[in-house]
Amino acid sequence: MTELDDIIHQPLRLRIMAALNVLPGSVGLEFSRLKKLTGATDGNLGAHIETLAKAGYVAVDKAFVGKKPQTTVTATVAGRAAFARHVASLQEIIAASGRQQ
Amino acid sequence: MTDIDVKEAAQALNDIEQIVQRVRQSRTYEIASQMMILWGVLVFAGNIATFASPRYGGYIWIGVNTVGALGAIAISMFRFPGAAGRGFDARMAIAFLLFFAFGLLCSKVFGHFGPREMGAFWPIFFMLFYCIAGLWVGGAFVVIGLGITILTLIGYFFITGGAFLLWMAAVNGGGLILGGLWMRRI
Repeated sequence: MTELDDIIHQPLRLRIMAALNVLPGSVGLEFSRLKKLTGATDGNLGAHIETLAKAGYVAVDKAFVGKKPQTTVTATVAGRAAFARHVASLQEIIAASGRQQ
Repeated sequence: MTDIDVKEAAQALNDIEQIVQRVRQSRTYEIASQMMILWGVLVFAGNIATFASPRYGGYIWIGVNTVGALGAIAISMFRFPGAAGRGFDARMAIAFLLFFAFGLLCSKVFGHFGPREMGAFWPIFFMLFYCIAGLWVGGAFVVIGLGITILTLIGYFFITGGAFLLWMAAVNGGGLILGGLWMRRI
């Protein structure tokens, strides 16, 4: 029986985790770039990042670059592991369907 | 726990694949934009310096290429240490050296190009590299490569004398800087 992660399963959160997971360990994405890549709005993206952060799947770092505030989001080790499990579950669903046919 | 059917699972995996491609391209553009701005500034300065002191043109371009190569290595190692899963990309460096060696063979051994031909050949030769790479990694490289190539050819055929160096400073140096800034925004 495959187990999907309820937190990651939501489409925008899935895209956020997919985008962060492809980056090397300590590298994150700046909020505006993440917004552009996922096609989300400011408010929507902020809310979903908060959900992922509460679950411990992403780390949010707020800093000033010059006088501009900059928010960087990075996938945590737990987030990467959860994402890998979620992808494996999706693949398992497809594989199981193939076996039944 | 969430239950989904095969179609939804396939759609989710497809979404993941698309976003992964988009992030990879975005990261490639981010690295390339910094390299292009670096080379743009150096090429701009090289052309202006050669215009001011044509006698030292050979030394100026050796200096430009040395600083550019060291700067490119520094960007890939320190600014993007984890890019493509590693820091310094030896295969990329070897490809660049082979490309450079072939350019020298054409321009110095087979061709015996003069300063004007050299001034047009190297930018076009490197823009060919951009266009070929762009076919795999992103259309912006093709646009920038073709744009600079066309402007270089216009200068070669229609701009005479020392003004050609100023033209090249603008279209090659300036073109790379603008291309790099544009790529950063894509």
